[in-house]
Amino acid sequence: MISFDRVSFRYAEAWILRDLDIVVADGELLVVVGPTGSGKSTLLKMVNGLVPHFSGGDLAGEVTVAGRSVVGSSPVDLADLIGYVGQDPRSSFVAETVEEEIAYGMENLGVAPAVMRRRVEDALDLMSLHEVRTRSVRTLSGGQQQRVAIAAVLASAPSILILDEPTSALDPGAAEEVLSSLTRLVHDVGLTVVIAEHRLERVLPFADRVLLLDGEGGATVGEPGRIMASSPLAPPLIDLGRLAEWDPLPVTVRQARRSAGALSALLADERPAPAPLQDGRNVASVTNLTVAYDGLRALDRVSLSFAAGTVTAIMGRNGSGKSTLLGAMAGLLAPTAGAAEVSGQAPRSMDAKDRICLVGLVPQDPGALLYAQEVGDECRVADLEHHLDPGTTAGVLGNLGGEIDPHRHPKDLSEGQRLTLALGVVLAPRPLVVLLDEPTRGLDYGAKRLLCHQIRTLCDQGAAVVVASHDVEMVAMVSDRVVVLAGGEVIADGETRDVVCHTPAFAPQVAKVLSPQTWLTVDEVAAALGAIEP
Amino acid sequence: MTLDTRPHAVAWWLWSTGLAVAALRTSNPLFLLLLGAIIGLVAVGRLRGAEARRTMRGFLLLAAIVVGLRLALQVLVGQRLPGHVIVGFPSISLPTWAQGVSLGGPVTIESLLVALVAGLRLAVVLVAFGAANALSSARELLRSLPPVAHEAAVAVTVALSFVPELFGSVARIREARLLRGRPSSGFAAIRGITVPVLEDALERSVHLAASMGSRGFGRRSPTPPVSRVVITVSSALLGAILLLLGGYGSLAGSSPLLVPLGSAVLGVLLLGASTLMSGRRSVRTRYRPAPFGQRSLACAVSGWVPLLIIAVFGAVDPAAISWGPSPLAWPTLPPVLLVMTLVAMVPLLVAPTPPGVGRRSRVLEATT
Amino acid sequence: MTRSAALAVSPPGRILMAAVSGVGALGLLWPFLVAAHGATSSTAPLVLTMLTAVVVGLCGVELTRGTMDARGIAVLGILAACGTALRIPSPGVAGIEPVFFLLVLAGRVFGPGFGFSLGGITLLTSALVTGGVGPWLPFQMLAAGWVGLGAGLLPRAEGGREVGLLAGYAALACVAYGTVMNLWFWPTVAGSSTSISYVPGAGPLENLAHFVAFDLTTSMGFDLPRAMVNAMLIVVVGRPILVALRRAAKRTRLIAAPPDLEVAEAS
Repeated sequence: MISFDRVSFRYAEAWILRDLDIVVADGELLVVVGPTGSGKSTLLKMVNGLVPHFSGGDLAGEVTVAGRSVVGSSPVDLADLIGYVGQDPRSSFVAETVEEEIAYGMENLGVAPAVMRRRVEDALDLMSLHEVRTRSVRTLSGGQQQRVAIAAVLASAPSILILDEPTSALDPGAAEEVLSSLTRLVHDVGLTVVIAEHRLERVLPFADRVLLLDGEGGATVGEPGRIMASSPLAPPLIDLGRLAEWDPLPVTVRQARRSAGALSALLADERPAPAPLQDGRNVASVTNLTVAYDGLRALDRVSLSFAAGTVTAIMGRNGSGKSTLLGAMAGLLAPTAGAAEVSGQAPRSMDAKDRICLVGLVPQDPGALLYAQEVGDECRVADLEHHLDPGTTAGVLGNLGGEIDPHRHPKDLSEGQRLTLALGVVLAPRPLVVLLDEPTRGLDYGAKRLLCHQIRTLCDQGAAVVVASHDVEMVAMVSDRVVVLAGGEVIADGETRDVVCHTPAFAPQVAKVLSPQTWLTVDEVAAALGAIEP
Repeated sequence: MTLDTRPHAVAWWLWSTGLAVAALRTSNPLFLLLLGAIIGLVAVGRLRGAEARRTMRGFLLLAAIVVGLRLALQVLVGQRLPGHVIVGFPSISLPTWAQGVSLGGPVTIESLLVALVAGLRLAVVLVAFGAANALSSARELLRSLPPVAHEAAVAVTVALSFVPELFGSVARIREARLLRGRPSSGFAAIRGITVPVLEDALERSVHLAASMGSRGFGRRSPTPPVSRVVITVSSALLGAILLLLGGYGSLAGSSPLLVPLGSAVLGVLLLGASTLMSGRRSVRTRYRPAPFGQRSLACAVSGWVPLLIIAVFGAVDPAAISWGPSPLAWPTLPPVLLVMTLVAMVPLLVAPTPPGVGRRSRVLEATT
Repeated sequence: MTRSAALAVSPPGRILMAAVSGVGALGLLWPFLVAAHGATSSTAPLVLTMLTAVVVGLCGVELTRGTMDARGIAVLGILAACGTALRIPSPGVAGIEPVFFLLVLAGRVFGPGFGFSLGGITLLTSALVTGGVGPWLPFQMLAAGWVGLGAGLLPRAEGGREVGLLAGYAALACVAYGTVMNLWFWPTVAGSSTSISYVPGAGPLENLAHFVAFDLTTSMGFDLPRAMVNAMLIVVVGRPILVALRRAAKRTRLIAAPPDLEVAEAS
């Protein structure tokens, strides 16, 4: 169906992909994985011609799709065959209402009106979008927008579907829904699907084959189990399998549970190492906090306190009030009732300059914090504004890691690097409370591990860190305490292990495999195994 | 004829254009007021939404300002026609470089009435435009354009959809500035807000372009042969020349008016034909286009009835159509004229009442 | 830095641009050029407005569909939205209209054809958004198009000189825009019975004097602040905005980038 014949590609000097020889079969679900910057998006865009026609660069070799040469045609010509869903569905909307958006592709292809009506209804059914069919696309939630983007592409009845990080904006429940609809299409209709994804734990169970990009331009393709066995990036399940030397390597939780009997027995008498005693004083708290706008109660009488040297994770569905809580604590939002205070003061009424020395927030889009044309300039300006000694911010940035070239434009950095830069800028004035809103979006496992390391270092230095996230694996790795919000209210609050292990929606893979034992991460299991062996 | 439930956006524009043209062809203030009243009543009766009401109010205000401006200009610098003096302002003479401009001087009723009529004419035109704006939806208009104008329509649609997003973007960037401890308003913030918002917008345009291209935007049948291109270009050139000559000729008032006007129209048609022929044909179809049916036709046609009436009465009873201040007499409006012009209120019958106006069935309400 | 084929204007497009400029100029300058008689002086503006509107429409269609593909249209739409958002707080009433600085900068980066289209589409969109499609719109679109067109035709310059050149052009263009809109406004509102009106049959110089008096009395109060605000905006934010526009143009290959300039894409 899709064939890459000795394909090499570069934008400027460095070859991103070298001599790729890949064939994707008809009706296959292929998952493309690789570290950030390895060319996943580029590879996907090569299938439908966006690369090189819309983005330039040198393409050597031949890409053929269903017999048609991609280099010789343009994305517009291939639109009847290939559907492409990009990383940002919000930016890809052309029409006003959901219905029109779904019909747009078909209009361009000159499909007959009667056929269009039928296909629009089918697409609405497939992605469960009936209730919102006449609503404006701008008013939908992130998950609904993602579904609309996919429905719009499916309506044109392509044979191949390309998705670039389709679940990054979705909470686990919505992601599950979208992926199972896609799998159903692959099985029923014979659609060929190619997905690029960072969060492998969500997508591996559905994959027929996996393509691993090594970041140097090379690629390997094969069965998920085989590729993951030697992949540097792997979800916790695979790490556990490698640790326990299971063969064949399980890719789903179910498969893993079948192999996990022996491991469970071995660990039956062990307990995870207890968390070090936290005796930090409370540095931040919200008391009976209520935040309401547009007639909606985003937070309803929430009372929480946060101690120095701890990491608290705020979890919950999209729209449950996580971002609002962080916003109120950072002084961006005024409480409708109740209070938020940091170190005894209300952040909202503080002068901005004093506030950033007490509480720092890295928003969902870290790029919004960055202004300068070069990383080095960004650091220098940050030093000036916060009245710090010159070089402080650059030093903090260096300590955070990530090897960022000071002459690059911040918009040219990878997601992880941008997050690190934003973190550096926010941390330079050494705030007592550090708030992070969905930091793991777009990060690969390596960058995630680095982030967890950075958070723990902050903790050791005495800061209170609050992370809003629905990335269960990261929460399991780094947090001491988990608070779950739903509809603006706290429905669970306790030690990570207690809250997370007993809720299927929030349980990490390791906990699901070794249930009813309460292990959170592979590192814990490894430590316990190490303690057993003399 | 297809059935439609409400007049098409284009029908509303046709209706109000007809009434505007009629207003320009008469100088009877009573008739002008009648036309204005008709437009106003239809608009008020069939407007939907606060935004439409705001638009209508804006245009009404503008119409009032135009009338006032016209009167003010007449008082200040008007040509002094002979007649009955109301107020005698002293005349201020200006130096010779401002030749011909006279400031002040006695103000006559006649000159004021002339100014009033001219102002009223413009006011009715503006009210007609206001009604058209308020009663029709811009998006429906855009979607009704022929496939040849699709690209331009998409550019406008993209722009319309993106404007609210921009305000959201500005709010986000201002919040981020607060997080960095920077001022979020005032002079210093201009650079810090416009540049990131623009960069964000351009970033999104890249994604949008990828999405549009992947979904077949601009898909066409193959390129036409070179000979076709030559024909296209030469007909465009000819059309342009005819248009300019015709425009100039019709202004110069060379007789008869029909020749240069016809030349201009022919020029425009040639230009249109060359645009249609040039480039490749589009293969687009339309999903659920709004139908232009009986109601739309009725609405559109009814707007041109007053113009027809003017043409007829112009021959039969010119005094009813064109009225002048000299000799000074009250304007008259024959009742026949009044009744016939009321045909222009047909849209009140064919357009559905907006929700919240008129009685509703309580039973139906309870079940929805 | 060469512009790609996606931004070049096709020959029919150039003819249409010339035609619409010609008929628009005719529609604005006729009081000086033509010795008209009283009877036609009321229908003439009407006829010419309608003709201009039609030809503006044709020109817009040709410019956008001929060679612009999805990239050009996407950038055009989004920049038009930015321009519209700039106009919303002050829709011509206060006269400040900061939209022109963006128009000049975009015309500079993307070329005269794009600048012309951007001017027209921005004014059209802002009319649709504010609900103000009036008989002045074709001329507003044309005048804004001329501003964008001119910006694309300015000579090469680098760095600070470029910013200075663009700021000076923006100031001139704003005053010219005001004058052009006054030319439309004048016969319509001043009519023919005031002493600063158009007088049919009088010589061009006399009418010119009348017009200058009209212009000075009614709009200098708007034109000068508008010119100053837009020029100042270019001086303050022109440089980073030019950089941002050029970056976007290079990323989408609407402008060919020199090979040693690496513009990275996300993985």
